[in-house]
Amino acid sequence: MASSWCWSCLSRLRATPTPRAILPPQSITPRITTASFHSSAVQYANPTKKKGSLVAVKYRQGQTLRRKKKKTTERARPPAVGERKALRKRIVLSNPNALEIEGMQDLSSETMVDARLRGSVLGLPVPMLDQLRAVQAFKPKQGWSIFRRPGTVLRRDTLEMARLFEKISGEGDGAEKGKVVKKIITGLKGSGKSVHLLQAMAMGFLKKWVVVTVPDARDLVSGDTSYSPIEGTNPTQYVQPNAVSALLMRTVEANRQVLSSLKVSQKHSALPSLKPSSTLEDLAKLGFQDAAVAWPVFQALWTELTATAAAPGMEKDFKPRPPMLVTVDGIGHWMKESAYRASDYTPVHAHDLVFVKHFLSLLLNGQASLKNGGMVLYATSTSNNPSIYTLDVALDQLAARQTGVSPSSPEYPAPEAYSGADARVLELFKPTTGKEPQFELQTLGGLTRDEARGYLEYFARSGLLREEVNESWVGEKWSLSGGGIIGELEKLGRHVRTTAQPAPVLN
Amino acid sequence: MSPRLSLFTANKAASALRQPSAVARAQRSVALPLRFREQSAPAQKRWNSSQNNKKGLSPDEQRFPTQDPLPHVGEEAAEMDRIMSKEKSCDGQPSSPELEQGSPVAEILQRDKEGLKHMPKVMQDQLKRRAGGSRSFSTSARSPQPDLQNSESQEDISAAVLADMIQQVNEQAAARLPEGLKFDVPVMPAQKKTLNFRKRYDSMQEQFTKMLMHDGKLARAQKNMSIILDHLRTSSPPNINPRRPLMGGTPAPQLPLDPVLYLTCIIDSVAPLFRIRQQKGIAGGGTAVQVPYPLNLRQRRRAAIKWILDASEKRRDAQLAHRVANELVAVAEGRSGVWDRRDQQHKIGISGRANLGLAPRRR
Repeated sequence: MASSWCWSCLSRLRATPTPRAILPPQSITPRITTASFHSSAVQYANPTKKKGSLVAVKYRQGQTLRRKKKKTTERARPPAVGERKALRKRIVLSNPNALEIEGMQDLSSETMVDARLRGSVLGLPVPMLDQLRAVQAFKPKQGWSIFRRPGTVLRRDTLEMARLFEKISGEGDGAEKGKVVKKIITGLKGSGKSVHLLQAMAMGFLKKWVVVTVPDARDLVSGDTSYSPIEGTNPTQYVQPNAVSALLMRTVEANRQVLSSLKVSQKHSALPSLKPSSTLEDLAKLGFQDAAVAWPVFQALWTELTATAAAPGMEKDFKPRPPMLVTVDGIGHWMKESAYRASDYTPVHAHDLVFVKHFLSLLLNGQASLKNGGMVLYATSTSNNPSIYTLDVALDQLAARQTGVSPSSPEYPAPEAYSGADARVLELFKPTTGKEPQFELQTLGGLTRDEARGYLEYFARSGLLREEVNESWVGEKWSLSGGGIIGELEKLGRHVRTTAQPAPVLN
Repeated sequence: MSPRLSLFTANKAASALRQPSAVARAQRSVALPLRFREQSAPAQKRWNSSQNNKKGLSPDEQRFPTQDPLPHVGEEAAEMDRIMSKEKSCDGQPSSPELEQGSPVAEILQRDKEGLKHMPKVMQDQLKRRAGGSRSFSTSARSPQPDLQNSESQEDISAAVLADMIQQVNEQAAARLPEGLKFDVPVMPAQKKTLNFRKRYDSMQEQFTKMLMHDGKLARAQKNMSIILDHLRTSSPPNINPRRPLMGGTPAPQLPLDPVLYLTCIIDSVAPLFRIRQQKGIAGGGTAVQVPYPLNLRQRRRAAIKWILDASEKRRDAQLAHRVANELVAVAEGRSGVWDRRDQQHKIGISGRANLGLAPRRR
């Protein structure tokens, strides 16, 4: 039954129901809001249920035990957009807590060819770090962040490469100026392929070469950058203007000193805005602002860098062009169909992307293309790497040819029948004909024990490793790292093995 | 002559002046392991200040080195084994009874004045030290008749020299034991483990890693742990709050270079000593009484790690590892709420000490 008390003002309701007819219609009477006027609606209302007096049994519901879900703690806000990626891609090159190593030498033109320093860690020159950052030579997971300053081991392959740099630059004995060395670098995971490229870039900067890099080949085929078809090509080729623009930016940032000293020496009809007296830096900067002209700018820059003589009428302040270093990391991504689609929704092969094709063609005609000499180093990658059967076969073929197996002999590796091998990839790795030398396959293995010792001593002298680095200990680690695989050695070196002090007795 | 043999005979010489019960003990003293040698020291001290005692010895009471009673069969066998296998002289020959029970040097020196002049340098040095009064020990307090000390007979001198030598050996033995230990350092179970049974990670690190683990994904937890350790390694050394110092006393600038030690210091510093048990039924009336309950090292650490992980959940960093690492640094600098939690726990525990007697004893 309804309570005779008003809920809101505690005044007594009228006990007897008022006839409805007495009440004037609501629309006529002015509404009084101040005094509480009790209408019959209250009395006609259903009686209010007492709380908890009657629990309706729900027959159609399950009788199983329901547990409360654990409340997730409310964080103030999720991290800002891009913060996680920035954290993931962050590259830290210095740890102020690590000890400064006394007597550590820098990489220089003299030390990089000094065989006595083999096995020691040479620091990368501090002014060069900005250049190396610009060409994205450092990778996020390479563990530079625990040392005072970045340094690399001078291993056998490094020394050999340094001698090549010296030869191509036209220094030392047996100089071969204008030669182009083309190499594909492979090796096990953690064997130092990317750092090998980094060392090459550092040497290139030391020798004042022009360094052009593709730090991650995947960026060009993963479908993340814009692409557009080129008119009148068959099969249709695609240009990636933003990727080219980024490449120009990297190249200018890293090679500013060299490029600003060279003047334009050819006529570029595609670039009418280019002044004849401008430097190559100005030329490349044209591609920064307008991505649409990035590809013609890149082509123009390439012709300038590979020119051996000025065009007629532009001989004034022509300087001989320096050799070039071209590096690509993660070449496996370029040996398959890309994530891009053609207009009929068929996948676009990576070799149809004109940017990719340009770099791959250097393997076939590098000597003819890079007229001022240089080095073409393309490395495979083992992290985030597509598994491509044809590339494996092609690399096997290359290795077989290098060991002297004739392509016509039965031992020569061939793709299995019905394996769907990619003909374009096999075509690329075909033995070259004519004057053009064949590109080589360089497989990076482990460090020798002496080199491993030098590397681990670097950890110990940085204060990160608290072990006695002696012959037996190094031998143990060398074996544990699969025969001196440097990535594994690094793990063993940074692995904290010190036993903590015995727990203090709490009183 | 090997030093060991000379000491044997030296003991024999000293034995002439001692109580019979002390003789057997002193004879053993060198052969016994270090920890038993302490017992012979008081005998020598007494001997040094008791030169007048020997007049009281009748010929019957005097014992000579050759007069040892036969030992028990087992003892004899053990002794034989010792002589044949272990007690080799310097040239590898088993030591013989002639060497062990020959004429004591002291006796010879008593007889032989000439020999006293040409005695070994060690003994001469000891003699000089004694004559100079710069002896390493003092006899003045114990001597009943100090005036007699100056009129020592010759045999006393030689015997005292030997005693000096013995005492030196004993001091060396005592020096080898750590301070405050009566016996050898006990071998802990951890030291008994063979080299083939090695842990990859420090025990504390392993415990922390496993508490970081979610859904049984240990590899991910280990990766997070390595990120945490790298963060500790690369972040600037902590500004330690003097009111909340870290345990262990390692200087703060040295901590980042040893991240595991750093982590251990942090955890051990905030680890509570006990947990509070809500004990029902001892106060009556159904009220629970708070009783502190001691924790062992691992349990203490577990509590501290739990608190740190709980506190890190409220942080804003994107990655779990960074949240935990930042919380750890906050603890090291005394900023974290974990310290308050520990203080509170200890406060309750101190007030609950009175209830300890009420709790039923558990086995």
